[in-house]
Amino acid sequence: MPTRRTILAAAAASAAAPALAACGEQAGAARMTRQARRPPGGRVNLVFWTWVPLQKAVALWNRTHPDIHVTVQTVPANTSGGYQKMHAALKAGDPPDLAQIEYYALPEFMLVRGLTDLTAYGADRLKKHYVDWQWQQGVFAGRTYAMPQGSGPMGFFYRADLYDKWDLEVPRTWDEFRQAARTMRKRSGGSCITAFPPVNAQWFAAFPWQRGAHWVRTEGDTWVVDLASEESRQVADFWDGMIRDKLVATVQDSQSSFFKGLQTGQIAGMLGAQWQDALIRGNAPGTKGKWRVAELPQWERGEHASSNWGGSSTAILQGTRHPAEALKFAHWLNTDPASIKLLVEAGYGWPSAKLDLKDSPLGKPDPFFGGQVYNEVFQVSDRNVDTSWRFSPTTTQSYAHIQDNIGRVVAGHGTIQDALRDAQTKFVDDLKAKGLDARSA
Amino acid sequence: MRTPRPGRILLVAFLALAAGYFLLPVYWLIIAATKSNEDLYGSFGLWFDNPRLWHNLSQIFTYNGHIYPRWALNSLFYAGAGAVLATLLSAAAGFALAKYRFRGREAVFKCVLAGVLLPSTALALPLYLLFNKIGLTNTYWGVLIPSIVSPFGVYLCRIYAESAISDNLLEAARVDGAGEERIFFTLVLRLMSPALVTVFLFQFVHIWNNYFLPLVMLSDDRKYPITLGLVTWKEAADRAPELTQYTVGGAFVSVIPLAVAMLVLQRYWRTGLTEGSVKE
Repeated sequence: MPTRRTILAAAAASAAAPALAACGEQAGAARMTRQARRPPGGRVNLVFWTWVPLQKAVALWNRTHPDIHVTVQTVPANTSGGYQKMHAALKAGDPPDLAQIEYYALPEFMLVRGLTDLTAYGADRLKKHYVDWQWQQGVFAGRTYAMPQGSGPMGFFYRADLYDKWDLEVPRTWDEFRQAARTMRKRSGGSCITAFPPVNAQWFAAFPWQRGAHWVRTEGDTWVVDLASEESRQVADFWDGMIRDKLVATVQDSQSSFFKGLQTGQIAGMLGAQWQDALIRGNAPGTKGKWRVAELPQWERGEHASSNWGGSSTAILQGTRHPAEALKFAHWLNTDPASIKLLVEAGYGWPSAKLDLKDSPLGKPDPFFGGQVYNEVFQVSDRNVDTSWRFSPTTTQSYAHIQDNIGRVVAGHGTIQDALRDAQTKFVDDLKAKGLDARSA
Repeated sequence: MRTPRPGRILLVAFLALAAGYFLLPVYWLIIAATKSNEDLYGSFGLWFDNPRLWHNLSQIFTYNGHIYPRWALNSLFYAGAGAVLATLLSAAAGFALAKYRFRGREAVFKCVLAGVLLPSTALALPLYLLFNKIGLTNTYWGVLIPSIVSPFGVYLCRIYAESAISDNLLEAARVDGAGEERIFFTLVLRLMSPALVTVFLFQFVHIWNNYFLPLVMLSDDRKYPITLGLVTWKEAADRAPELTQYTVGGAFVSVIPLAVAMLVLQRYWRTGLTEGSVKE
């Protein structure tokens, strides 16, 4: 069993893997994973903590796999308490076997040795079934620690009927996007081309990610934070202009005024993730048939650069006594066509499994989107996500600084460029507080 | 009838304003509970639009295999049983600290006072680690046992017992041959009842609204109280948008027992709060 030290040493040797090194006084998992022998003819019980409503898929597994029984326990989502519970359970040495962990939070769990090294149980031969960038989110120092579940490739939802009415072309580049926003405002008497959630760093990060920025990277043992690169600056400039000219609706993406805007057409589109289809459908049902989806606008005409917002893995926590069985279940859950079908119906997002859209419920023409097979756009988007984007083990705190700062910009103080530069210092401090080596780029 | 003085008018106006301020969120909640998910966003927030309260309620109560009524019963159990036991414990401790002389009495009382200042949230994680060692996490006991301790209740009971129970009365009871248990259960509990109602209500509301303790203790959603259950609904609403409405409606239903408890017990509460504060 590799210890954290050896993993960290290996991490230091591999530039591709985040340096989860130089442990400060991190509280680690109190119990290490060990494979227990299964009693002959006996049944293995696995506990799975998640907040995604995937009970139906698990019920199917339990029907078809009587020797491995999985119990789903619904816990509050991520930072509303789910991760806190998982950390407490790891510390107590009594964790569930499986847990829902978002991609951005995986490094944080790595830092406390909270995840089982799945390479030791043969996970690497399953790699070919998954979209590459999603698989990479669970790989640290060349070893696999999580099975990807789903993501949120970015696209541009827009109201086709309003674009016709106002005689607008769907923008293909960011320049066209800004132009279209201007024209829309004039012709519509105040409608906005998209919402700009002021306090949502995960959403905002999708744009530097698309541009090719890398907010964090590692050099040996050191974390390098780079929120002010040329790419990030360009993106920040763009949004500074959009906010200054009042071309975007600065409302939170989950606020009632956002949904009201979608219902009334005051917000005539949204740069968003694939999983937001369910939100538009469920909260603005009166707009059925009027929506379409296009690729994200591009910085260079003709490119297909893309990005992602949100994404989750099925991780096997440190301390389980049945890692092999848990791995078998996690792989089935995320790749079996019958399971994916049930997960899609439950609205879990975009599958991490490589899939043939034609055979999937995602590949059907959708009346809500005027008969468009809108997921074709997201499939292209998913394939073009920059695979080298990384998250740090301090994403929760550090992204909070970023969104606090951007929130102030939207309220009329300063620019996003300055906001990012200021957040960078705090970001580095967060990493140092964890006992990690870190510096600004 | 006297003509009202300007000061009085001002006072009433101020109180009316304060009442509006506190009641507005409740009013919004009532209105919102009657709306469809779409109207929740699309219609004016402070007035009805296609009200369909019964439809919403039946959805809330049946969703996911009748999980909501189960949460409600759990909450009633945690808060009801927890508050009764906490009240008894506080009464016994408060009475003992007020009326028995023993070595270290003041030290014990100061420790309890320090407990009033310690936020229960800070204790939840250590409690979890402790309970995990004795195998009580993810059981009803894991939430119930920490809930029956109320430092504030002990404090209130001591202050109250000091002023409301005269030493002569206790002496007389002892002379008549009553044992200490009998004195406590027949005499003291009755004399302290206004304070006990106060402690009961405070603790009931505290447990009912507690989020963090059940969050760390419980992982089986069939043991959740309403607070925790509603958060899992709210969080899942970005996958299943109708859950936004269920969360709002569920919150509406969950304030009803608290409102009932207040209305029924407020008479006692009022006397309870003031009675102990004046020393004779």
